[in-house]
Amino acid sequence: MNEALDELTLLETLDHLLDRGVVVAGEAIVSIGDVDLLYLGLNIVLANVDAIKRTSKR
Amino acid sequence: MKSVVIGAHLRRDDIEPLAEAIAAGELFLSGLPVADDQPLGDRELLLRVAKIRAALLERATFIAIRYGLAVSSPAEASAKCAEHLERWRALLEQHRDEVEMTLKVVAPERVARPDRHDFKSGGDYLKALHAATNAVEVDPEFHTAAEEAIGKGRWLHRDQASLELAALVARDAVERVRAAGEELKRRFPHVPFLLSGPWPLEVFADADRE
Amino acid sequence: MLIANDETKLREQLAFTDSMIPKRISADPEIVENGLAKLVLSIIELIRRLLEKQALRRMDAGNLSEEEIERLGTALMKLEEKMNELKRTFGLDDDDLNLKLGPVKMWE
Repeated sequence: MNEALDELTLLETLDHLLDRGVVVAGEAIVSIGDVDLLYLGLNIVLANVDAIKRTSKR
Repeated sequence: MKSVVIGAHLRRDDIEPLAEAIAAGELFLSGLPVADDQPLGDRELLLRVAKIRAALLERATFIAIRYGLAVSSPAEASAKCAEHLERWRALLEQHRDEVEMTLKVVAPERVARPDRHDFKSGGDYLKALHAATNAVEVDPEFHTAAEEAIGKGRWLHRDQASLELAALVARDAVERVRAAGEELKRRFPHVPFLLSGPWPLEVFADADRE
Repeated sequence: MLIANDETKLREQLAFTDSMIPKRISADPEIVENGLAKLVLSIIELIRRLLEKQALRRMDAGNLSEEEIERLGTALMKLEEKMNELKRTFGLDDDDLNLKLGPVKMWE
């Protein structure tokens, strides 16, 4: 039971780090997993990320 | 070396020695120096930053900057944050003695997700997705009780299965909120909710929601 | 501080963004065992969800032009389409993508 709570605490902590707060210069949207994407060469997703970056103008 | 930016603070000693203080206008950003080729999508790094954030919050309230910003110089930091600095300073002074508390509650019914095949235009699809997310509802009695427990704040729709209340609470009221949370648990044993905090200014620092 | 009512349901129902962070793709034996295709698709799916959430946040803020809404919506539709194509190609469904990456689970 304590383990479940620990895990929940961890998830909640990371959730606050990643999903809230001020987005500066549009960085937050693409930089999570950014390098991993390059590493895997996922061009499909990269192309769409770029499209959305252009679209959001930030 | 680059620095992973954590938050924006009023004073240098709100930050040091827990993190690196990077001057930006009249404010200071907190940063964690890492190697230039350090990928940001790294779980261990995230956990380190989360720990530092918690320690910084015990010092003083700050503006949370969403994870993902990394800078190589104070000049770069100032340039990227320029448009926010004045607004942040005002917020930090206004809410110096407050922290954010968050209450998430699972909706009794998940809203059905629109099927993209039903839409010809992308715009209509996105609007439908947005409407579905906003249609999430919770028990009105719980809604009221939640606001009584943590304060009138902002209700946010983040997904199709839950609702979230974010409120500003005075630092010395956090214990009272915790007790109220336990009471909420007793009163509503069948409503799955998660009360967490304290947090730095996150929802309340968001320009979009002004 | 964290006060939780019904941890199990919370974990199931709340779409925690933590689930978007995979462990570094290095020599983790569990990842190799589970197959690269599943890993790749799971990551794309996570990114797709992240992008969708971001698009919805922009909608909340109400600062998108009709044109921007159209372009964002279309990009999301295409991403979903692509995702389904890839799933079909590899013979995987949503359950298959629900894999465990080291200590980080993937949530719906």
